[in-house]
Amino acid sequence: MWRIAWGLAIWGLVLSSLPARAQGGKETLSVDLPGEPATLDPHVQWDTDSYHVYRNIFDNLVTRNPDGKIVPQIAKAWRYESDTVLVLDIRTDVKFHDGTPLTVDDVVWSVQRITDPAFKSPQLSQFNSIVKAEASGPDRVRLTTSSPYPALLAQLVKLSIVSHAYVQKVGNEKFNIEPMGSGPYRFVGWQKGVRVTLTANDGYWRGRPPFKTVTFQVVPDTATRIANLKTGRSDIIRQLNPDDAASLKGESRLQILSIPTERTGYLFINALYGPTKDVRVRRAIAHAINRQLLVDALLGGYGRPVSILLTPANFGYVEGLKGYPFDPPRARQLLKEAGAEGAEISFYTSPAYDQRLVQAIQQMLQEVSLKVAISQTDQPTFLKRRQGKPEEAGSISLGRWSCACQDADGVIFPLFQSQSLWAKYANPAFDDAVTRARQTLKEEDRLKHYREAFAILEQDVPGIGLYQDFAIYAARRELSWKPTANEAFFVMEMKWQ
Amino acid sequence: MARFLLSRAVQAVVSILGVSTIVFVVMHLSGDPTLLLVPEGASREDVALLRRQLGFDRPLAVQYADYLASLARLDLGTSLVQRVSVASILASRLPYTLLLAAGALTVALGIGLPVGVIAGVWRGTLVEKLLMPVVLVGQSMPTFWSGILLILLCAVTLDVLPASGADSWSSLVMPSIALGALSMATFARVTRTGVVEELGKDYVRAGRAKGVATASIVLRHVLRNASIPVITIAALEVANLLAGAVIVETVFAWPGLGQLAVQSIAGRDFLIVQALVLLASFTCVALNLLADLLYSVVDPRITRLAGAR
Repeated sequence: MWRIAWGLAIWGLVLSSLPARAQGGKETLSVDLPGEPATLDPHVQWDTDSYHVYRNIFDNLVTRNPDGKIVPQIAKAWRYESDTVLVLDIRTDVKFHDGTPLTVDDVVWSVQRITDPAFKSPQLSQFNSIVKAEASGPDRVRLTTSSPYPALLAQLVKLSIVSHAYVQKVGNEKFNIEPMGSGPYRFVGWQKGVRVTLTANDGYWRGRPPFKTVTFQVVPDTATRIANLKTGRSDIIRQLNPDDAASLKGESRLQILSIPTERTGYLFINALYGPTKDVRVRRAIAHAINRQLLVDALLGGYGRPVSILLTPANFGYVEGLKGYPFDPPRARQLLKEAGAEGAEISFYTSPAYDQRLVQAIQQMLQEVSLKVAISQTDQPTFLKRRQGKPEEAGSISLGRWSCACQDADGVIFPLFQSQSLWAKYANPAFDDAVTRARQTLKEEDRLKHYREAFAILEQDVPGIGLYQDFAIYAARRELSWKPTANEAFFVMEMKWQ
Repeated sequence: MARFLLSRAVQAVVSILGVSTIVFVVMHLSGDPTLLLVPEGASREDVALLRRQLGFDRPLAVQYADYLASLARLDLGTSLVQRVSVASILASRLPYTLLLAAGALTVALGIGLPVGVIAGVWRGTLVEKLLMPVVLVGQSMPTFWSGILLILLCAVTLDVLPASGADSWSSLVMPSIALGALSMATFARVTRTGVVEELGKDYVRAGRAKGVATASIVLRHVLRNASIPVITIAALEVANLLAGAVIVETVFAWPGLGQLAVQSIAGRDFLIVQALVLLASFTCVALNLLADLLYSVVDPRITRLAGAR
């Protein structure tokens, strides 16, 4: 018996020496992502797992500093020649990983590549206001937009500069799996389904990168990511839910990093069809929802109630609108006035949304005498109905909106402008305000239009903002890093304490 | 023999054609994949443009004909999301799933068969009463739970095995146990039943009367006859293992087809999901065909009976 026990113990020792450890001193940063990057070509996919990796391989035309302000990167300065022409001065001291210099031609070609409809980039709609990109000097690029487009710089934050010569030489498919850029890290290898490995670009123009090697592992299961972090196989993990974050609070060697993002959790309310066509019913719904309770009980405090459908991280956020405070008696009274007590409203949803939130909202609305029928379908069917005709779109549905541009133009325009796919609402005064806000570059004027637009939305309630979403990471305590509202993941900004 | 083979092969082809059609219809019933591919703020024109470029605006019949023609050429297309050919994505993941299935089958058969034989031979004794519950517990635990328990024990507490990845052979141990435990009890029970049944037959009594050792009777004669249901079950279990791999591969971040399926569904990668469903059905059909063929090798009477029909 003892012999067996000894045998097992020795076997255990042998095995324990086998597994490869991630840390290997402090030279390596090991990151666990919930999903595999879809592409490493920065002009194709822009889901979080992809850009967490490729934004460290490439430089962007402009970027945001940790405070969210747009600052130079490949463009060192810029100015508007007219309302539709932006001129950018390009750095001339940047080199790609293969040693060739980054030139204005690469910048122009990067814009042309992502805006070419035949290239079918899913990011096309973010850049297709640019109708012309041309070099106007050895270090100068001119971008022309079809009309004044105030969110242009906010979109250019996401434009990575790729090497014209390299992409032409290797072709799109190979570039996607063996990317080469000018960023702080150069691509080493991609073991599909397992990890992407990057190594420091020691000649990087902004300074020496903080870690010699960075690896991004694909670990879909949250419990497994936490196990990896606890055992030191990874240094930072992404996408935790509030419950997991709460369970890690007691770990002295770990830290929770969270940040309010530009993503808004909101409730769409159909203003063109069904019981919610009556504005009093829509206002009653807005009064019936206890946002603070949703945030405290279901989001574990990782969220912040909002009174308009936008977050303070977006341009165009206006203070002073009080929205609809939680007031069930007022809600019941409004429903009585509308003659809608006991009215049946349909709540469309799909597995892409947090079902606990859906049920909590259903409960809150039933408390004020509405009958709420939840109808769950798969995501494509949900989108088809939600974006279809008003009579097919259901009475209410939950959404989480991010335009990745931190500008009100990317949020309330597509959600409520009467011609847009998502809008089940039509008010010429609102259309006018949001259209004017996108036709001028003057910030004060734009803010004025947005104040007007949000005031109209508060009256009409075609949807309500519920909460500002937080991103949650967990990391080893020694890692020093501040996450950002746009969920950028720049390894350059991290270091060991 | 040839006729038996031919009829089975024809059945297999019909099944595959049926499955292909069902896959196409289901994938298109659930709506237009274009809506899933565009960013949230895209305008009506953006959506229409992408739809035209991806060919989803053509009549369904044309798309179906196109789809069958590509399948006939074994062309699975290029992933809309990853921009790489679907066949190469599948090929990079397939070896890991085969490795995991082999590991799980080793665990399941390696424990299930001996337990079944022992339980059959020593039927009704304390040995059987102790062994069978152990394998049943293995089957009763859902993998998403047993997998996490294994990680907590072997990776976090004991720290002897990696919780995720595919870096060395040690990475294969936990996923194989978690997945194999599912089929273990099935193999044990089927083997036990087979052994019990065969032990009551005349040839066993004759052997015993001749003075042949019990071990020899069991290993050389009974096992061979008891193995037919085990082969059927093994073929079906491999299909189950492939399905179970979806969860196990996700829990242990094992880079096989199961993990790819979850990623592709989450990443809205329409063509990969379609190819995976086709591959899974094809595997099922192929395994059943293989099981039929194996019967006739193990028990030639089956072919003769089928031929006489």
